[in-house]
Order: sequence, then C-alpha cells, then structure tokens
Amino acid sequence: MGLMKANSALLLPLCIVLLSAACREEGVTHARVPKEEAPAAGVPTMPGAMPALDAPAERPRGLAWTLPSGWKEIPGNGIRLATFTPPGGLKTEATVVALPGESGGELANVNRWRGQISLPPVDEAGMKAARTTVATKAGPAAVYDFTSEGAVRTRLIAAAINVQGTTWFFKLMGEAVATEAARPGFLTIIKGLKLDAAK
Amino acid sequence: MPRNSPLDRLIDGLSSLKLTLLCLTLLMVLVVACTLAQVNLGIHLAVERYIRSFIVWWSPEGSAMRLPIFPGGGLVGGVLLLNLIFAQFRKLEFSWRKGGLWIVHIGLALLFVGEFATALFQVESNMAIEEGQTKSYSEDYRRMEVAVVDETDKEFNDEFGVPDTLLKSRPEITDPALPFTLRVRAYYDNAALSMRPAGAPPSIVTAGIGAGMSYEPRSPVTADGEQNTSVAVIEPVLKDGKSLGVFLVSNALGAPQGFIHEGRSWKLSLRLRQYRHPFSLTLKDFRHDVYPGTEIPKNFSSLVRLKDAAAGDDRDVLIYMNSPLRHGGLTFYQASFGKNDTLSVLQVVRNPAWTLPYLSCLLVSLGLLWHFGVMLLKSLGARKA
Repeated sequence: MGLMKANSALLLPLCIVLLSAACREEGVTHARVPKEEAPAAGVPTMPGAMPALDAPAERPRGLAWTLPSGWKEIPGNGIRLATFTPPGGLKTEATVVALPGESGGELANVNRWRGQISLPPVDEAGMKAARTTVATKAGPAAVYDFTSEGAVRTRLIAAAINVQGTTWFFKLMGEAVATEAARPGFLTIIKGLKLDAAK
Repeated sequence: MPRNSPLDRLIDGLSSLKLTLLCLTLLMVLVVACTLAQVNLGIHLAVERYIRSFIVWWSPEGSAMRLPIFPGGGLVGGVLLLNLIFAQFRKLEFSWRKGGLWIVHIGLALLFVGEFATALFQVESNMAIEEGQTKSYSEDYRRMEVAVVDETDKEFNDEFGVPDTLLKSRPEITDPALPFTLRVRAYYDNAALSMRPAGAPPSIVTAGIGAGMSYEPRSPVTADGEQNTSVAVIEPVLKDGKSLGVFLVSNALGAPQGFIHEGRSWKLSLRLRQYRHPFSLTLKDFRHDVYPGTEIPKNFSSLVRLKDAAAGDDRDVLIYMNSPLRHGGLTFYQASFGKNDTLSVLQVVRNPAWTLPYLSCLLVSLGLLWHFGVMLLKSLGARKA
C-alpha cells in the first residue's frame, strides 16, 4: 500500500495542473506600440469576403478647390480623398470624402459627426438650428460647427455639398483652440469650391 | 482490508492488461474517426472534438440536443495513463533487474502528461513579415479580439485587446487604464454583413460605418483555409453612464471607426487576436530555392534579425525547414510565404511542455538499453555456467 500512496502523490500534481488550466481566464491586454509597427486599420479581408472599405478609392470628379496660403494638401487613402493641414503645426486637420447620392441623409451625417466628438444626437429641428449655409461657385454648402464637452474640448466644422449626384464632405476636426485658429482658412476653402473644369 | 473489496477490484481493473488493450483499441477507432471527420470539420475542429476532448458528442440533424456517443481522446488517454501507473506499481517488481522497464514506463507516462500539457497550454499563432519589416507580435489563426486603440500620441499607440472569450462571457468589460467601460451588446463568431436596405427597422448601432449595415448570425466555418466574419456590437460608456455611441466592428470591415473623447482619439476594430512578444524580428531575406531547371521546391528559409534588449540578444538567425528559432519560450517555424517571395510566414508556437516528448524518448531509450543490457548479461552468464 506504500507504493499506492506514492502513486496518489504522483497523481496530485497532475490534477492541480489540469484544474489550474481549466480555471484560467484571459484578461484585457495592453501594449504601447510604436506607430510604424502598428498594423493598418482593419484586418486584410479573406478572399471571397466583402471588399475592404479602406481600399484606395477612385477620386470622383466634379469639384475643385484652392488652398489658402500655408495650407498643404496630402493625398488621401481609402475613402478619404484628400487631407488639408493648416499652417503653424496646429493640432487640427481637414479631410475630404465624397459619397454617391445622399449617403444616408443629412440628419444621419450630422449625428455621425456629433457622435465622433461624443455629443448626443439631435432631431430635424436641432439640425436646422445648427445649420448655416455658405454660398460657393458649385452651389450652396451646409456648414455645421460643433464643440465637444469635457475638460479637453474637440471642435468639428463640417461642410456638405451635393454636386451632380455626389455628396462631398469637408470636415475640419481637432483641438478646439487649434480648430478656431484654422477656421477662417477652412471657410475660405469652402467658399472657393467650384465645379471641376476637367469634368 | 478484506480481499476482493470494491477498492481491490477497482485497482485490479485499473492495472489490468485488458484495460490497456481496450484503451489502445478505442484510440485506434478515435484516430480513424478523427481522420474521416476532417473532411467536413477541418483538422483543427476534428482534433478538438475527437482527440482533445473527454467525450465525443453528437447532435441529431436540426436539433440542439447533444448526445455522448464515444469516449474522447482525453478520457481514453487519461485512463491509459492511470492504467500504466497502476500496472507499474502493482505488477512490476521493484528491483535493479527491472529498473529498465521502470524507466520505460516512466518515459511513456511522461509522454501522456506531455500531450495533456500541450493540449492545455500550447498556443499557436502566425507571424507574417515582409522583407525589411520588423514585428514583435504574432496573430492567432482563428481567435478574434476587439482592439481599442488610443492613437493620440504621435509616436506610440496605446493598444487594448479584448479577447473573444471575454466578449462572449461578460456583458461589460473594464480596465483601469481605459477611461470608459466597454459594453458588449452582441458578439457573433460568424455573421453575414450587408448594407441596410431602405426602410429597414432602426439598428441598435448608432455610430460609425456600422450604423448603415445589417448583420445576420451564421454558423461558424471550420474548414481549413476558411475565415469567419466575426461581428461585435460594442458601446463605450463613461463612468457617469453617458454612451459614446454603439459601434459595429468586424474583421471584414477595413474602414477605421472611432471617436474623440477628452481630446484623445480612439479607434475601434475587430481583428485576429494578437500576442505581443518582448523582442522583435526583422526579415532580412526570404529564400525560395528550387531544383535547377524545375519549379520543385528545394528549400525555404528566412534570414531574420533577432533583437531582445532585455536578454542582450542582437543577432542574425536563419530559420529553415526543420530548423526553427527557439527564443523566449517560443518556437518559430518556417510555415509559408507569399507576395512573390518577399513575404515570409512563420508559425509561432508557445508550448511550455515541448521538452517532454524528447525527455520521454530519452528515458524510453535508456530504459530499453538498460533492460536489454541486463538480459544480455544474464544470457552470457547462463552460457558460461
């Protein structure tokens, strides 16, 4: 029986290993990753899956713009057609996106913008109250200006203009103070929008 | 204790040769059944269901009921291990002449323990590196995670990974370093995604590109080479209960989604589960050698630069077939390649029990040498006499 006791002693560590493995649970992982190593947003889709939405988009034609002095244009990627950066290294930037048709409707887009800076959605009346219209050579553009709540505020100024069945979105977003400084230049870009002569 | 007590009968049964034969027969049946099941289930799921389980379950077509139909590999292997140990202590004489057989039995028992430990602790993943690229993480083949990334810093991203096991088991996920709670509204291993038709009822998704999409749960795919389209519907909620929007994230969506809170820019996505390593590999060169005048592969190899500041390692390593890199408890095997031979895929295996099969083989060899040596000496002695 002495040997049998030794046998039980042998089995005990095995049981502990098995039980501890069965009880383990993974937690949230946290890592600080250098930007250059960070994978591109989203995961490459498998063959046969729906196409990746960040695939380079062909730029729709129909609208042209002129940048004020000091502003720089960076070619876009994915559904973003272009990025404008204001002078002075301000922590804000403007982006351009063009989508076919009404692209979900004006109210949905306004609430999407508000959601991006953690503001609650508004109804049709709230949207109309927030809207200002800016005249451009390509037609009227609806402009919205929202600032987030909280200790560190983010400001978003967005303009939407429909040109020949395509809705163009111009959005300036960043730190509230920096966005205020870049606002005149951004509105100059909006006011200077014109139909693309190449079209 | 009287003879033939229930305990005696149990010990007799556990140490019997009949039980050994029964277990070996069951294992053979399991191997055949598992091989056939791979046609429909794929290797991974077939092994999980038949070999790395205690019971093989079967569900009638169209029913959620599960019936146990056969002992799984875990149960048969466990009984065989007990049988081996009981037989050893019950029937094997404890003497130096039988010392070789003792070592052989211990070696075999270690082989079983090693397989159990491998089934429980082994983690396999892939590291796909392009030439010139440096990576310090690998990705799971199938498992997903919701990535919550603070992109505010110009040089670093703060990445939080919420594994699919947590998404399935907890309605709310918190982390001391996150300024919000992640409420899990839904999670599906596989789903069909489509654009929302006009006039569809309102979606629970209120923010990001997912607000314009609909999803329908599907049975997970298991065949080798197929990938699930997993979907998570998540809602970051501040401590005061304020919602930052309900987002739909999926590994099939490439578009970045996120929000800005207190001046910090957060991005949300669903991706293959990532395992971070405290060292990096840089692919310097990938070679795909063929036999002259043919397209028949002769050799695949990856020349990598291993950098591990903590261990003081900074050296070149050549990884090729049957010559993996072992570092930091991980083994890197040459597994695949792509992009016109500029991309190398390394299989990354973490298996704390990887030495046990080698130790087991060593013990079995030593035991057999001992045993046959003793037999040889005995035979020579008998001739002299």
